[in-house]
Amino acid sequence: MIRPEEILNTVDMIQKENLDVRAVTMGISLLDCHRATIELTCESIKAKIKHHAAHLVETCEAISAEYSVPVVNKRIAVTPIAHVGAGFSAADFVKIAIALDEAADEVGVDFLGGFSADVSGGTSSGDHELIISIPEALTCTRKVCASINVGTTRSGINMDAVVMLGQTVKDLAERSSDQGGFAAAKFVIFTNQPGDNPFMAGAIHGLGQPEIVINVGVSGPGVIARALERRIAQDGSENLGLHDLAEEIKRTAFRVTRSGELIGRRVAKALGVPFGVVDLSLAPTPNVGDSVGEIIQILGVDAVGAPGSTAIVALLNDAVKKGGTFASQSVGGLSGAFIPVCEDQVLANAVRDESLVLEKLEAMTSVCSVGLDMVAIPGSVDAATISAIIADEMAIGMINNKTTAVRVIPVPGKEAGEFVSFGGLFGESAIAPVRSAGKSSRFIQFAGKIPAPIHSLRN
Amino acid sequence: MTEPHELFVISITSRDRVGIIHEVTKAISELGGNIADIRQSVLCGYFNMILLASFPLRTTQRLIERKLAEADSNSESAIEAVVRKADEHSLTSSASMPENAYVLTATGHDRIGFVATITSFCAENRINVIDLSTTISDDAYVMILVVDLNHIASVSDMRRDLQKLSQENGIKVVLQHYDIFRAVNEINLPIR
Repeated sequence: MIRPEEILNTVDMIQKENLDVRAVTMGISLLDCHRATIELTCESIKAKIKHHAAHLVETCEAISAEYSVPVVNKRIAVTPIAHVGAGFSAADFVKIAIALDEAADEVGVDFLGGFSADVSGGTSSGDHELIISIPEALTCTRKVCASINVGTTRSGINMDAVVMLGQTVKDLAERSSDQGGFAAAKFVIFTNQPGDNPFMAGAIHGLGQPEIVINVGVSGPGVIARALERRIAQDGSENLGLHDLAEEIKRTAFRVTRSGELIGRRVAKALGVPFGVVDLSLAPTPNVGDSVGEIIQILGVDAVGAPGSTAIVALLNDAVKKGGTFASQSVGGLSGAFIPVCEDQVLANAVRDESLVLEKLEAMTSVCSVGLDMVAIPGSVDAATISAIIADEMAIGMINNKTTAVRVIPVPGKEAGEFVSFGGLFGESAIAPVRSAGKSSRFIQFAGKIPAPIHSLRN
Repeated sequence: MTEPHELFVISITSRDRVGIIHEVTKAISELGGNIADIRQSVLCGYFNMILLASFPLRTTQRLIERKLAEADSNSESAIEAVVRKADEHSLTSSASMPENAYVLTATGHDRIGFVATITSFCAENRINVIDLSTTISDDAYVMILVVDLNHIASVSDMRRDLQKLSQENGIKVVLQHYDIFRAVNEINLPIR
């Protein structure tokens, strides 16, 4: 029998500390949906998604109610569309995006990811058409998310693509200027993109995946923050080392992950679909008490971005992985601590107060699980500078054999220090200054490729 | 145990001290009794134990009571024993949880009738209480019930009724499946 204090701690985790399952994402292979014409291809894509995901939302809701653990988002990830639509034109790719959006609407999911391509080793004609279609595809749909993998540790970074994508980000923001450039928040550029990530905007159903799969993204920064506060209040900070706090995070990550594993497996079983992975990420929301920035502060810096912040993120990221790995049969996706600025109130405030700047954020991303995520920058920043920001972040991932990503929003008509709000889980933030904008254009004009790194002599 | 035998349920209450279990089980073994299962707990310095034991044929309730009375007279504090014959065919295993086990926590100000309010709801709704304990948390009185919802038609209807009960009585009530508590507190994942 479980002890009363364990029962009360568990009740508090769910009721007071924002424990939830952040995303249940159904991965669906669309490789068999290519047809002779774009119309038939769109029909077959819609039919397949509707067939497999028809009961996804209601099943998640029923199991969520049974356990009283909220499942915040129900999503779909599909085979990178460049594979499905290869041979069609950019205009046709837009039609596929519309078909995906309609299918997502009909089955009632929040978002659908996989309007994607992997161009790390070079860009095929299908990839090229897809990239050209992205600005229109993401502004004439609501639920479709796009991602491009431009680099891997094995093949280096495709800088020709990075050059194109700086402009894609600009175009997305400008086409959605009435929403503060929100369309750019549905687009992310990766190095070492995982094929089983359940989180948006970068979810895809990679080529190595089964026909259909259920992946789960857990969350729970609030649970970790409260556990650390309790431990510090109980033992006194003078009696605790960082190793003790890392241990507390590890134990709490175990609990958080376990709830995701339980619910994910139940959903998969109820739908008769194989269960894939739990992504152990600490994904914050703009809600008070659901912040990774708050954990960074509890671990000892008064202002996020102050010296020590990178070391803290490293400790946090590692402890989350260690606790979560034991809790789950198979772990995948991004698995670590996210630091998406707009979606995390404490991080957003740190940008407003100028304690957290883009350069420090970049340093922190070298030890967090993703990268420069949901960072609002001035709309005046040119495409070449955005490409250079992407290149820097991709280099960190390529050299360190980890996933990195860039999701920046150049907010049209706004400058550093001004404020932008995207609403809901996308949050709001002050606009972060980009220093030395416009001074990287010669680097970007070289384009070409950054060769894959050497795998020995690792210093 | 395959030989013919008589099954008895024995419950013991005493002030808590060292040696009670020894005295009781010694008396049982002297009668040739074999203990099948025991639950013991201590509440605010009072000891309580319930046990199930099988005795040789022709062992009577009276005989066991007399033996335990003997143990009581030799003991340094009073041991109260209640003995009753158990029906072997109606025994259920106490080890496994029913599939529909839920944890109901009720939190509110300590007052007369708190426990009665919650348990009369359970009784009216044919909810069997498997385990019950109370504790004080952040100055509030907390009841923790593990309940079997196998005889409930709809858990969501019950949640609605609980919400009503909660509003009428100023008690915060949370109902969650037992598996979630096992999943986050135990090494093994409960898979159904």
